[in-house]
Amino acid sequence: MFGWSDLVTALPEIIVLSMACLVLLVGLVLKPEKDGLLVSLTMLTLVFAALVTLRDHLGAEAFVAREAFNGAFVRDTFGDVLKLFMYMVMAAVVVFAKQYLRNRSLFKGEYFSLALFALVGMMVMVSGNNLVTLYLGLELLALSSYALVAFDRNHLKATEAAVKYFVLGALASGMLLYGLSMVYGAAGSLQLQNIAQAAATQPDARLLILGLVFVLVGVAFKLGAAPFHMWVPDVYTGAPTATTALIASAPKLAAFGLAVRLLGEGLGPLQIHWQSMVAILAVLSIVIGNLFAIQQTNIKRLFAYSTISHIGFMLLGFVGGADGFAAAMFYIITYALMAAGGFGLLIVLSGKGVEVENIEDLKGLNQRNGWLAFLMLLIIASMAGFPPLVGFVSKLWVLKAALDAGYLGLTIIAVIFAVIGAFYYLRVIKVMYFDDAQTDEAIVASVDARFFLNVLAIAQLALVLLTPMLLDVCSSAIAAL
Amino acid sequence: MSLSHYLIVAGVLFVIGLAGLFANRRNILIMLMSIELMLLAVNTNFVAFSSYLNDISGQVFVFFILTVAAAEAAIGLAILVVLFRNRRSLDVEQLDTLKG
Amino acid sequence: MISDWIPVVLFYAFAGVLLASALAVITVRNSVYAALLLVLAFFSAAALWMLLEAEFLAITLVLVYVGAVMVLFLFVVMMLDVKSREKHALGGYGKVAIAVAVAMLLEMVMLFAGKLAAGLPETSLTRHAADYSNVRALAEELFTRYVFPFELAAVLLLVAIVAAILLTLRRRPDFKHLDPARQIAVKASDRMRVIKMPAEPQSSGDDK
Repeated sequence: MFGWSDLVTALPEIIVLSMACLVLLVGLVLKPEKDGLLVSLTMLTLVFAALVTLRDHLGAEAFVAREAFNGAFVRDTFGDVLKLFMYMVMAAVVVFAKQYLRNRSLFKGEYFSLALFALVGMMVMVSGNNLVTLYLGLELLALSSYALVAFDRNHLKATEAAVKYFVLGALASGMLLYGLSMVYGAAGSLQLQNIAQAAATQPDARLLILGLVFVLVGVAFKLGAAPFHMWVPDVYTGAPTATTALIASAPKLAAFGLAVRLLGEGLGPLQIHWQSMVAILAVLSIVIGNLFAIQQTNIKRLFAYSTISHIGFMLLGFVGGADGFAAAMFYIITYALMAAGGFGLLIVLSGKGVEVENIEDLKGLNQRNGWLAFLMLLIIASMAGFPPLVGFVSKLWVLKAALDAGYLGLTIIAVIFAVIGAFYYLRVIKVMYFDDAQTDEAIVASVDARFFLNVLAIAQLALVLLTPMLLDVCSSAIAAL
Repeated sequence: MSLSHYLIVAGVLFVIGLAGLFANRRNILIMLMSIELMLLAVNTNFVAFSSYLNDISGQVFVFFILTVAAAEAAIGLAILVVLFRNRRSLDVEQLDTLKG
Repeated sequence: MISDWIPVVLFYAFAGVLLASALAVITVRNSVYAALLLVLAFFSAAALWMLLEAEFLAITLVLVYVGAVMVLFLFVVMMLDVKSREKHALGGYGKVAIAVAVAMLLEMVMLFAGKLAAGLPETSLTRHAADYSNVRALAEELFTRYVFPFELAAVLLLVAIVAAILLTLRRRPDFKHLDPARQIAVKASDRMRVIKMPAEPQSSGDDK
């Protein structure tokens, strides 16, 4: 049973869900020339949900975490911080998608509706309090993403990407579930708190550890960490760029939330067992991501391998206890902003009938549009981790967390490969600034797309100043778990 | 019959599903069927634990997995139909447009 | 006691059929056979669940899987008319995969039968009384403690519907559709019009 207070606690989810249904219906009856309304409705949803999420934190009395629906759902600072950044990233992605879909006559109401459904899934992933809720959130996100990848259904590459995404995603779910079944068998409960209790008290935790291995594989698949990263480059390249922007940004926040809920909250007492496994995943991701990125000529593929290495850096934080979790949270938030900005720029640059796919296509961007080139410079330099951008600061914090936890070798490898990685980012910058433009076609970007590009790129600088504050928020969110 | 009997059956079923997924070079439909086998193994695990622990929540989880698996099958088959329309084949080996 | 033996015999029979048919699913050449063998596998699994006293789920598995999902599978197999090619089902990495699978299999069996068996929670199945209702127990949990996931599952099915229709529905411009709404809304006056017109002057054919 549930009452009014349960519904109020889950109000942000309820708003997004109802609006997803509304957008679906409005999209059916709307005349094509008025389809801008769909984007406005989606943006309104995000703003409204953000206000409702924020409201409880700005009130006079201090925010207390509370459970709802008999412990199936929890509303805490950790979830709310991630949700607020999800709304922001999704707003940017929706605006970029509008331009992309219009130029390719793919503009349909279902796109925005599915994006909102995916958002509901992500929100549930970061605030689930038992295994069932977490799993359903994950699947809601996954099923919506499969459809969004296959959205351009006459395009062979997109379909192929969707097939790969689907098969490997389903495999990952299967692995995760097999692990969860072991965890359930050992703990005798689906509730995260009870699992943590059982994990802390059981002397012979073999069954739990077996479950843990499968859970870790499943989570690594979903995050795209090496050696379970095979789907990332193909899906990023094949999917319509608007969808790539979507699946590369906000879902990373959600996957991080899921990983923290499962590994940190549920299986936290087994930390000594999963720490070394996560460390291996982190090193492999950093090494493979950076090495394979060097030989890429396709920029979407380059970004895909860069994602893998970023996920590796984020996982480095996991080995460092509570401070490490906070650093990882800071890392993944800044990365989601970078990724949305990077793919957003690719969308803006690929106008009508032109698809920016190769690094060559960025030639002489500085001559064509100096400001956009500068924004791209900010984002790419931040991805590479050049000071004084936020990408540098976030790397510094996860490395410090790993070092404090005594992983010296790991830290050294990570630093070496970060330097190697800087090379391929520099190549993109060189192409943009020192090569001659092949076309002098003007770049058309709508006002709202330009606004979000500016925000995301300038954030790479501004967040450096806000680092202490944001890190504080992250630490208190982790501490309150 | 002890719990480990059921767990062994489920484990073997899971490995068969996994092998079917990786070893299959023929068509993607068989891959989807392998995934169904894996989920069946997971469900059997949950049901067995639930019965032996005398705790119903494992069966509730199975109920949800069945729902999700049905939804997943519907989307998977829809993607396959789209693939078939574009390429006239479901051959795994021909999925090679994306390389690098 | 013969009645102690019945569950054991049934377990081995159904488990044997389940594993054999599962193995056949991934090795037969014909997709239709594979789908039908999968039905057999689901059916035997449902029987195993019956032995575990999970009656509701066993029946759901038969109804939803054998009844709906497998029909969908067969429908797609038939619709796509996949040519079954004369080539062994397991090729390419097949041999490596089988070797890895056999190794994993042995490890798992050893794990569950040996090392893990001691750590498993219970060793005997609690048999419920005759008046115990599995459906009631499940429903009580589902609509109280798990009502939030229940709603989420509904959303998930909606997404599946939207996605499946979005991906496969094609409106061909050259197709002539019937639109029931327009058919119902039609009025007699749209179909036939009675026009008043002045009578035309009688004209005879031989007017010269």
